[in-house]
Amino acid sequence: MAATPSYDTAVFMACAFSALFLPLFSFAVSLLISEKYSWLVTFTSPFLLLLSTLAAGVVLYSTWNQQPFTMTWNWFTVAGSTFAVGVFLNNISALMLLVVTLISFLVNSYSAGYMAGDPDLKRYFGMLGFFTFSMLGIVIADNLLLVFVFWELVGFSSFMLIGHWKEKSKAADAAKRAFIFNRVGDVGFLIGLMILWAHAESFNLITLSTSSEALSWKTAASLCIFCGVIGKSAQFPLFSWLPDAMEGPTPVSALIHAATMVAAGVFLLARVYFLFTPFALDFVALTGCITALLGAFAALAQNDIKKILAYSTISQLGFMVLAAGAGAPEAAMLHLVTHAFFKACLFLAAGAVIHALHQAQNQSHFPFDAQDIRHLGGLRKKLPFTFFVFIVSGSALSGLPFFSGFLSKDAILASLMVWKGTGFSWRWLIFGSAFVVSFTTVLYTFRLIWSVFQGEEKSTAHLSITEPPLSMRVPMTVLAIASLWIIVSPNPFDFSGWIYGGLRSNSEYLHISAISIASASWVLLALAFAYLIKGRTIRSSMLLNAFYVNSIYKIVVERPLFQLAEITARTDKKLIDGILHTAAYAQLIIANVAGWFDRAMIDGVVDDAAILAKGVGSFTRSFQGGKIQLYIFWAIFAVIIFIIWTLL
Amino acid sequence: MQEILLSLLLFTPLLAALVSLFFPATAIQLFRYTTLVANIAQAFFLILLLGSYQNSAGLQFVEHQPWITMDLGSWGTLKAEYFIGIDGLSMPLVVLSVFIMLIATISSWTILKNVKGYFILLLILNTAIIGSFVALDFLLFYLFFEFMLLPMFFLIALWGGPRKEYASIKFFLYTLLGSILILIVMIGLNLSVHDPSISGQLVHSFNIIHMSSPINFISFSILDPHNAWQIGLYNARQWAFLLLFFGFAIKLPMVPFHTWLPDAHVEAPTPISVILAALLLKVGGYGLARIAFPIFPDATIYFGGFIGVMGVISIIYGGLNALSSKDLKRLIAYSSISHMGFVLLGFASLTAEGVVGSIYQMFSHGIISAMLFLLAGVLYDRTNNRMIANYSGLYSKMPWYAVMIIVAFFASMGLPGFSGFIAEIMVFLGAFKSNSVQGPLHESIAITATLGLVLAAAYYLWTLQRMFFGPFNLKGDITSDQMFDLNKREFIMLIPLAAAALFFGIYPQPMIAIIDPFAKHFAEFVIGAGKSLTLNP
Repeated sequence: MAATPSYDTAVFMACAFSALFLPLFSFAVSLLISEKYSWLVTFTSPFLLLLSTLAAGVVLYSTWNQQPFTMTWNWFTVAGSTFAVGVFLNNISALMLLVVTLISFLVNSYSAGYMAGDPDLKRYFGMLGFFTFSMLGIVIADNLLLVFVFWELVGFSSFMLIGHWKEKSKAADAAKRAFIFNRVGDVGFLIGLMILWAHAESFNLITLSTSSEALSWKTAASLCIFCGVIGKSAQFPLFSWLPDAMEGPTPVSALIHAATMVAAGVFLLARVYFLFTPFALDFVALTGCITALLGAFAALAQNDIKKILAYSTISQLGFMVLAAGAGAPEAAMLHLVTHAFFKACLFLAAGAVIHALHQAQNQSHFPFDAQDIRHLGGLRKKLPFTFFVFIVSGSALSGLPFFSGFLSKDAILASLMVWKGTGFSWRWLIFGSAFVVSFTTVLYTFRLIWSVFQGEEKSTAHLSITEPPLSMRVPMTVLAIASLWIIVSPNPFDFSGWIYGGLRSNSEYLHISAISIASASWVLLALAFAYLIKGRTIRSSMLLNAFYVNSIYKIVVERPLFQLAEITARTDKKLIDGILHTAAYAQLIIANVAGWFDRAMIDGVVDDAAILAKGVGSFTRSFQGGKIQLYIFWAIFAVIIFIIWTLL
Repeated sequence: MQEILLSLLLFTPLLAALVSLFFPATAIQLFRYTTLVANIAQAFFLILLLGSYQNSAGLQFVEHQPWITMDLGSWGTLKAEYFIGIDGLSMPLVVLSVFIMLIATISSWTILKNVKGYFILLLILNTAIIGSFVALDFLLFYLFFEFMLLPMFFLIALWGGPRKEYASIKFFLYTLLGSILILIVMIGLNLSVHDPSISGQLVHSFNIIHMSSPINFISFSILDPHNAWQIGLYNARQWAFLLLFFGFAIKLPMVPFHTWLPDAHVEAPTPISVILAALLLKVGGYGLARIAFPIFPDATIYFGGFIGVMGVISIIYGGLNALSSKDLKRLIAYSSISHMGFVLLGFASLTAEGVVGSIYQMFSHGIISAMLFLLAGVLYDRTNNRMIANYSGLYSKMPWYAVMIIVAFFASMGLPGFSGFIAEIMVFLGAFKSNSVQGPLHESIAITATLGLVLAAAYYLWTLQRMFFGPFNLKGDITSDQMFDLNKREFIMLIPLAAAALFFGIYPQPMIAIIDPFAKHFAEFVIGAGKSLTLNP
């Protein structure tokens, strides 16, 4: 590090490593604790995550707007090239460090209430810790290979958590899909790494960012890395795993959607923004825009409380990716941070509803799908606290003024405004789409809130429903407060407050009052419209199934793949082994022919010789009758012959 | 003792086998413990060996003794030596062999039939495997190489499953064919190479190190690089390379010469499957890197692209076959084929990264496949049934078993943190880089190979979903009281393997430091010698 830092390096490092490794420690503790005391993990895990959050707070406080902190160790060396592990903390990563640890801490505490009584608490809290650790690894890693390592670990932990309820077949299926979709994206990321290694011989973020050559391989490399982002941040066309992943426990959904998984993609985009060439950025923007529209429209038609939120996440992620593609990674990051809080809050609130209904159901044995909003209504009376939290976080999602979402969305719209330029081009379409998405967001958010909390109670009318326990309410409160404008800036109409300035790297100050006013009135208009169409549902099978993407994958990818696998199996059995067996049989036939030849021809000759010998043998054997007279006769006969022989 | 340390390591099992011959056949425990003691003694010698091994010193612990010297009159003299040594290529494989043989012995406690014969064969196999990894004289190597076949054949044919005769004969014939191809080249090489250390006299040598240097070829001999005989499409050296390549590729095994492997695995008893996957396949990869590539660098470059493509075909074809396998052990066998494709790909790249990746992959696959086959054996021991469709929801009944399966599956998929990741990423980086450093592989080959990663995720996760998740259910004639979790002996085998896969995934430097000097030299030598022989023949 060149300049002397304004903080104590030893303390700083201790904090950075505590923030990173305490979640891993929580994982270890949860695994090692004896089964008898498994309830202890509901205390140890939140506590360790709290410590981690505090440490992350110190890190953020120390590095914010300071010289970035770097530190590198040698991992292994191949042919003189070093593969390193290291830490690179600048404003973006330090901020992300705090967001991830804080949300993870809140989700851990919430889970203590939500998951009470689960038979597999150890594994659940262990994997929460590991999930957080993997995400933190992505956040602070100083090179892309290390990012990739943690990137895959995030995929693994999400697999374990989405499929936490092992006996639920649908959960296992969703977990598998999530991992495979992520793997597809990861393969793209890996190819990006290969391109980087072949051309730049380095994965280090700082080294890569300082080599300013605009080279053609950078387009390919950045687009390949973007494939990883598409997989992890659920962008078009790899988004369908995210709604499926709702089969996991709700706190896990909160974590995935807010801090530890989908956020990784947008974060990476901001982190390696320097690699992207103008062409690649246009591609990114287009992908983001398509995703934002798809997600928003699909959310309109969903009936499952969690699926609405899931599609909303897809749409919001598309919005962030669009911002990054439009040259404003700082706006994307700002929205990522605000979204992390209000979306976590929405999920925890949704979880509170589901939790309360499940408990009530267990007491009354009255079965209905507690997540289907068509069965719900009028819960504001029985769950006033949850209702209030829902309103606050929903308003932030809709981007109503005085909420954090308004400001971060404002930042994105302002950058789009500049990006689209003055002359008419396809960028105007995207700019327009951003407003469409913003409008639709308000519609589906308030449709959700009103159908769950307003109107008359439906299936729940006879249930006695109680608010969730304190351990769940406190995290919800914290997150609801964090959904207000104040976390972004003191001025509720100007996004360039505490955070934005620190994320800005090179682009100029962008606040445009006209955009703020337009955005605010547009959202209010949408709210009014949402009120007008209250109670109506869109019955579109296409939107409900998210444009049939899953079915298309089934037909285009899954089925041909299994057919191909079947063909290879048959090739092995019929073709390769067939040739082998034919060769073996051919050899057998030749051997039989040779055997016959042996018996009939060669052995024939030998047999004849044997018969001859036998004849001779039996003839001479007749000389040896066993009678002494015969021997004497032959002896005398022989002697006579001998005498005649010698005499002649 | 330093001078004969490697020989001690090599012949301890053979000595134990000799001693075991004199025990009465009923003394079952005695055979088990004799073998175990031999394995532990080997491990002890190995630790001594590692203690004084120097990473950058090339061949070490060399032992050089005359073995066969035969005067051929006007043909000169034929010389074979007892010549062994260890370097960055053989060290990881010897470490692996000692480790896996120990695990296999523990796993052999379940063998109850003809225990005497079994353990004696196991000990002979041990010496043969390690011998082929350390032999530096071609004839000696070939002797060990052939000697692996016989014990393996009997171990499958006598202790195997229902179709053991078919599987063992298939295994035997396939690998015998490979051996014959290698034998032909060995004779040709012996005729063409002389020993430069003896002047004034023509000494035909089997020394692999001499063979790896183009100047030691006799002028106008059949394999002389400077006056290559043209036979049909290729010259004699290229034909010889192809024979060697296919000889070793059968062992590896490479698609389409792989069909012996699934059958052999399905029928072999668990410990033999473990040895087969973890060690025997590696002899194929080792032979390529020790013999085929350095002796024929010109042909290696000529056929490099072809080898890379065959590697990718193995990766994808093996993966697809694994996806359609209905038998758990068959699935693992096909995943082995897929993973050994990476070995071909990495060697063919002729980059230091790729070669490190290949050797690391051989080491890592040895550990992980051993774990996988042990786990398949755990199930088979309990129910005599390995059909995937007969099980579901095992997680709730056998949680520890499921945890181990999850660890092994993800390790095999190349999840970071496990040794397979380091191996695969190095192979990919090397294969992609190959083209830009004058290696033989085009970038598209590496890109196509990444499909194997998605396939691996698909077949493993699908298996997890079908067998371990969902509600607990059994089909066929399996009863639920047969299903019990891992016992202590099984833990003793599985935990060290899992720990090793993790250790070499998180902290690869010690192993890579051993491999790296060899890999660097290998890549530079093959490319350098190959290019110069191709350009100025």
